[in-house]
Amino acid sequence: MAGLLARRIILVVPLLAVILLFTFLLVRISGGDPVGLLAGPTATTEEIALVRASLALDQPIWVQFGVYMGKVLQGDLGNSWLSNRPVLAEILDRAPATIELMFWGVLIGAGIGIPAGLRAAFRPDGSFDQTTRFLSLLGFSVPTYWLGLIMLFVFFYLLGWAPPGMGRIDLFLTPPDRITGSYLIDGLLAADWEAAGSAFSQLVLPVLCVAIISAAPIIKQTRAIALEVLASDYIRYARAQGLPHGQIRAMALRNSMTPVVTFIGTEITGLVGTTSLIEYVFAWGGLGQYGLSAIIAGDFAVVQGYVLVLALFSVLVFLAVDVFVMLTEPRAGATP
Amino acid sequence: MTLLSVEDLHTHFISRDLDNQIRTARALNGVSFSLDAGRILGLVGETGAGKSLTATSIMGLLRPPARVVGGRALFEGRDLLAMPEAEINALRGRDMALVVQSPKSSLDPLSRIGDQLIRIHRAHRKASERQARERAVQMLASLGIPDPSRRMQAWPHELSGGMAQRVLIALALMNEPRLLIADEPTTGLDVTVQAQILDLLRDLVRRTGIGAIIITHDLGVVAHYCDEMAVMYAGTIVESGPVRQVFAHPAHPYTANLIGATPERLKLGGARTVGGPPPNLFRLPEGCAYRDRCPQAGADCATSPPDVALGAGHIARCHRVAA
Repeated sequence: MAGLLARRIILVVPLLAVILLFTFLLVRISGGDPVGLLAGPTATTEEIALVRASLALDQPIWVQFGVYMGKVLQGDLGNSWLSNRPVLAEILDRAPATIELMFWGVLIGAGIGIPAGLRAAFRPDGSFDQTTRFLSLLGFSVPTYWLGLIMLFVFFYLLGWAPPGMGRIDLFLTPPDRITGSYLIDGLLAADWEAAGSAFSQLVLPVLCVAIISAAPIIKQTRAIALEVLASDYIRYARAQGLPHGQIRAMALRNSMTPVVTFIGTEITGLVGTTSLIEYVFAWGGLGQYGLSAIIAGDFAVVQGYVLVLALFSVLVFLAVDVFVMLTEPRAGATP
Repeated sequence: MTLLSVEDLHTHFISRDLDNQIRTARALNGVSFSLDAGRILGLVGETGAGKSLTATSIMGLLRPPARVVGGRALFEGRDLLAMPEAEINALRGRDMALVVQSPKSSLDPLSRIGDQLIRIHRAHRKASERQARERAVQMLASLGIPDPSRRMQAWPHELSGGMAQRVLIALALMNEPRLLIADEPTTGLDVTVQAQILDLLRDLVRRTGIGAIIITHDLGVVAHYCDEMAVMYAGTIVESGPVRQVFAHPAHPYTANLIGATPERLKLGGARTVGGPPPNLFRLPEGCAYRDRCPQAGADCATSPPDVALGAGHIARCHRVAA
C-alpha cells in the first residue's frame, strides 16, 4: 500500500519536469520579444543588449531553460511586466477565490449529478430519467458566459434577490483577515457575520453556474456507468441470490464510484477554463480572470506562471483520484 | 416426491423494431418437465434452444423484453410464476439456488469472498455475523477449498476459474436450498476441474437429497452425472426420460442426431448427422420446429406433434414415434 502510494507520488516529479519544459517552450514559441517592451521606446542599442543580458536572453535556449527551472524551483516565477509584482505572490493572492468557486461548484454539481444519474439509471426511460436527460442536455448546450449573464439579469436586475456581480464581497465591506483565503470561511472564523453573509450571497450565483455546468456531464456519465454496472453479471447474480433490493442498489453504487470519481477528476481539470469565464462575468478576481487578462495583455511571465499552476493543479487532482481508487478498489492492488 | 413441475411454459421476447412494429421472438414454446427430490436432470440442447431461459424464467429473473406469457412452474406445489416479486425473491438464494457459468464476473468485485457468503446467509436466515462466518468457513472446507479461513479474505479477482466456481457453489449452498440449478457450471474450466466440480455436485445431491438441474450442451456430462435428461430444441422439450433409456433408444430424430454427433460416435463412423441453423424464433414454422432439418419429415409434420409416452417416463414429441 505505502509502496504503491509512494511510487505514484514519485511519478509526479518527471511529470512536473515535462510540464516546466512545456510552459517554457510555449512562451518561446509564441514569439514576441519582451526586451523592447521592457527597455522602453527610447532605449539605445546598448541598453537593449543590457536588458537582454540581464534576462539571460542572449544565452542558448537550453541555458535559458536551466535558468528558468532554477528560478521556478526557488519559487520565483518572475515579475508581472504589467504590475511589476512577483507572479507567485499575485497567484497566491487570487488562488483562494478560484478554489472556493470551484470547490463549492463541483461539490454541489456532484451532489446533484451523482444521485440524479443513479436514480435515472435505476429506472431507464422513466419520467425522472427523461426529465434529467433533458436538463443535462440543456446544461451541456448553454454557453457559460451567457448562463452567468442570464443569472445576473434574472436574480439581480429583475428579482433583486442577488447582489451585483462585482467581486467576492460587498464593495463597502472590508474583507476578513486572511486565514484560508475564502472570505466566507474567514468571515465565519473571525465571527464577522456581516462579511461572511456578504461573501455567501456573492458566492451563490457564480457557484450555481459552476454547479449547473459541472452537473450536466456528471449526470450523464453516472447514468451510463450505473447502467453498465446494473447490467453486469454480478448484479444479475445478486438478484439470483435473492439479496434485498437495497443491498443490490448499494452494490451498484459502490461499483459505480471508481469510474464516476475518475470522470469527475478529468472534469475538474477541464472546468478550469469554464470557471475563468464565470470569474470574468462576476468580476471574481480569481486565477482564471487573472490568467485570461494576462493572455490578452501578452504578460508572458504571468501566462507562464498561470499555465504552470494549472498544470500543477491537474497533476494534484489526478493524484487525488488515483489515491481514491487505490483505497477503494481491491483490483488496484493496494487494499490488503 | 415431485420438487419442481414445469407445465407448458411460454416465454417471449417482445420488442419493437425500427418501423415500430411489435416483434415477438417465441423463445420458449410450451416447456414441460418435472424433477423429483434427490435426482439430477440434465437439460441439453444447442445454443439458443432456451435452456438458460428456462432457468431464468422459473426463477423469475427475466428482464424486459423477455416475459413469461403462459404456463406454470410449481415448486413444492407453489406456482413461482404467479408469485409477487418480494415472495420469489425470498425463495431465491434460500430454497432454490442458481450457479452460473461465468463465476469470476458473477462475484461482487468489491467484496471479499467471506463477506459475500455471509451476506447471502444473513439475507435469508436469522444468524449472527459469527454464526454466518463459521458456516461460510465450513462450506468452503466442504467444497474442498484449502485453507478456507484464509480464503474468506480473498477478493474475487484473486481466484482461479475453478476456485471461483466452487465459491459460487458455496454461495448457492449457504442456505441449504432444496433446488439447485447449475447453468453450464463447467464451461470454460479445464477438464480435470470440470470433473471435480461435477463430482462435487453429484455427491451433494446424493448426500442431501436435493433436486438439481444441470444445464449443458455437453452430452458427456449428461451421460455421466444425470439421472434424467430433457432435450430442448427451439424452445420446446422434444424428448425426455431416464438418461440410460434415452441414450440407448433415442426416439426423436433430433436426439438421435445429437447423440450421433458426439465425438465418440463420429469416430465410430456409423453415425450420420444433419446440420443446419436453428430456426428463426421470430418466424417459427407451424407444427414441428425441427422439420426443416429432419431427415424423416413428412407432410404431417406441419401439424403440432404429439407427446408420445414410450414407458418408464420416456417421452418424445414427434409424429414419427410409435408408442
